[in-house]
Amino acid sequence: MSWWSFERRWLAVIWQTLLPSGTPGGLALGARDVPLDRFLDELIAFAPRRVTLGARLCVWLLTFCPLFVIGRFALLSALDDDERLAVLQKLAASDVYLVRELPTLFKMLGALGFAGLPAVQAEVGIAVRDEAPPDWVGAEKP
Amino acid sequence: MSGAIVQLGDVRDQAQVEDAADVVIIGTGAAGATAARVLTEAGLDVVLVEEGAHVGPEQLRSDMWSSFKHVWRDLGFQVASGRAITPILQGRCVGGTTAINGAIIHRMPEKIWARWRDEFGLGAALPYAELERIWQILDRELFVGPAPESVLGKNNSLMRTATERLGIAGNLIQRNVKDCEGSAHCNQGCPTGRRQSMNVSYVPRAVAAGARVYATCLASSLVTRHGRSTGVVGRFRDPLTGVRGPKLVVHARRAVLLAASAIQTPLFLAKNRIGVGSGVLGKRLQAHPGTAVVGVFDAPVEMYRGATQGYESVHYWDERMKFETVAMPPELAMARLPGLGPELMRELASYAHLAVWGVQVRAEAQGSVRAGVFGGTQIEYDMTDADIRVLKLGVRRLSEMMFAAGARQVLPGVHGLPPAISSVDELAPMFDAPDDPRLFHTIAAHLFGTALMGGSAFNSVVKPSFETHDLPGLHVVDSSVFPTNMGVNPQHSICALAWLAAERLV
Repeated sequence: MSWWSFERRWLAVIWQTLLPSGTPGGLALGARDVPLDRFLDELIAFAPRRVTLGARLCVWLLTFCPLFVIGRFALLSALDDDERLAVLQKLAASDVYLVRELPTLFKMLGALGFAGLPAVQAEVGIAVRDEAPPDWVGAEKP
Repeated sequence: MSGAIVQLGDVRDQAQVEDAADVVIIGTGAAGATAARVLTEAGLDVVLVEEGAHVGPEQLRSDMWSSFKHVWRDLGFQVASGRAITPILQGRCVGGTTAINGAIIHRMPEKIWARWRDEFGLGAALPYAELERIWQILDRELFVGPAPESVLGKNNSLMRTATERLGIAGNLIQRNVKDCEGSAHCNQGCPTGRRQSMNVSYVPRAVAAGARVYATCLASSLVTRHGRSTGVVGRFRDPLTGVRGPKLVVHARRAVLLAASAIQTPLFLAKNRIGVGSGVLGKRLQAHPGTAVVGVFDAPVEMYRGATQGYESVHYWDERMKFETVAMPPELAMARLPGLGPELMRELASYAHLAVWGVQVRAEAQGSVRAGVFGGTQIEYDMTDADIRVLKLGVRRLSEMMFAAGARQVLPGVHGLPPAISSVDELAPMFDAPDDPRLFHTIAAHLFGTALMGGSAFNSVVKPSFETHDLPGLHVVDSSVFPTNMGVNPQHSICALAWLAAERLV
């Protein structure tokens, strides 16, 4: 089941907030610099349906959460970078387990794609064993 | 007959595949492959049926996601529900979980065996001396030995330093690896084929002795005749896409062995209405849940060099905890690191300076497994409050060990605590918090107990002879029959029990 293009944009914004580019003292690369949209295609094509449906629901929850978290009637993607990060950090610190797992879910999914890339691994100092990127980077849409 | 590994691509154009053998085995992991090794070399004709694909080292990529796709069950997304969501780790490929584990070998502790003898009456059925005889053979054939110094790497040697400085017992892990290169890629599937997992040891050995392996084929039902199990029916299916292929029918002249793991075995039995009346099928699921503690060191640790799991401490085994190193690839480490945004990216940048060690709990919790609503699997598992207290103490002790080894900071990964601590005193609030699994991110591996072995059909599924109470000719030979968990990694014990079961069929 394919995702709407706006849902993909919402998720891209979440990933870019969680994994920003050009962090001083951190990595130069971030979600914006790598084709995580193709990784999303892989997830949608092959992950168990409960996972992709759950992820889709969570994208909606995060996108519409600013009203409940900071009292702003705005989509998460419409906030500026600092506000968006503050919202996600507030959720991640929640005492309610399922609430704090929302950003953690996308941190985990993003990490699976992002940190598996040889360029990212090289940047964190790993002597990369396999310099060719994972298949999903160059794959046709499944 | 000549042996072969047959997959969907080989039979896609056929309407049906038929075969016959003395023994048909469902599953090619520690139990199924070991049984095949024994039976083929005793001169019996064997067929193995495996849901996952046969993936050779040359097909493996170095990233975790590629591995999840091709050799892990549910792409690593299999979870148990309870108060917290707990990932349940299993392989799904020829070789089963032995193809993705850390190659840790332990014999069943004698205290556990004594409990099986005294509480479950299994002493005569599973004599310890017999198990020791089999372990000696397994040790030799699977090249079991201590992790060599040459591939220890700093993640492992730092734990040794910690145990020495704190005066607690620690040891190099006994591993089933021949000439390990120390690529720290065990969990992705050994890229060099050095780990003697079943897909590179007993499965090829059985094939060389004539066994046929039908991989990418999901066993669904049993053939029965005159009240006896006489075969298996399955369907070839692409494990990734679900695209279906031909039906498989294999006739068994002597027996059918079920070795599909403590999750899939009870599902198969329930689907075939076997053991249902026992009241315990799919229940009593036991495991070794655990969590990881991360240490930050000034000097590089480079856990991507060395054996994935090369050092352990069973010093506190009587307190239901075991510590072991685990070299975490960056994809998994990143998910475990604290923070979001720039903070997370700074933590990831220090990856080469991180050490990761885990605590594994011999939990008293019992869960359940049953078929889900839409064909999936519903696993329920919730650590008890006492288990959580063990986990808390384990996190504290691992943190002490990290500091003893020279860690500048420890990232405990516990909700309500600072993301990074500089002293174990900062862990105090954890002990004041409720004993709740949602404080931690845990995973569970080593699964047992869902088709209990025992003397009566009223409270067990499998006889001490490994044959099911309900259906003669059907034997369960995997860790489903274990009455309890063990507090150590179970591969060697699973192999030994399967070996014993197979010998009794010869």
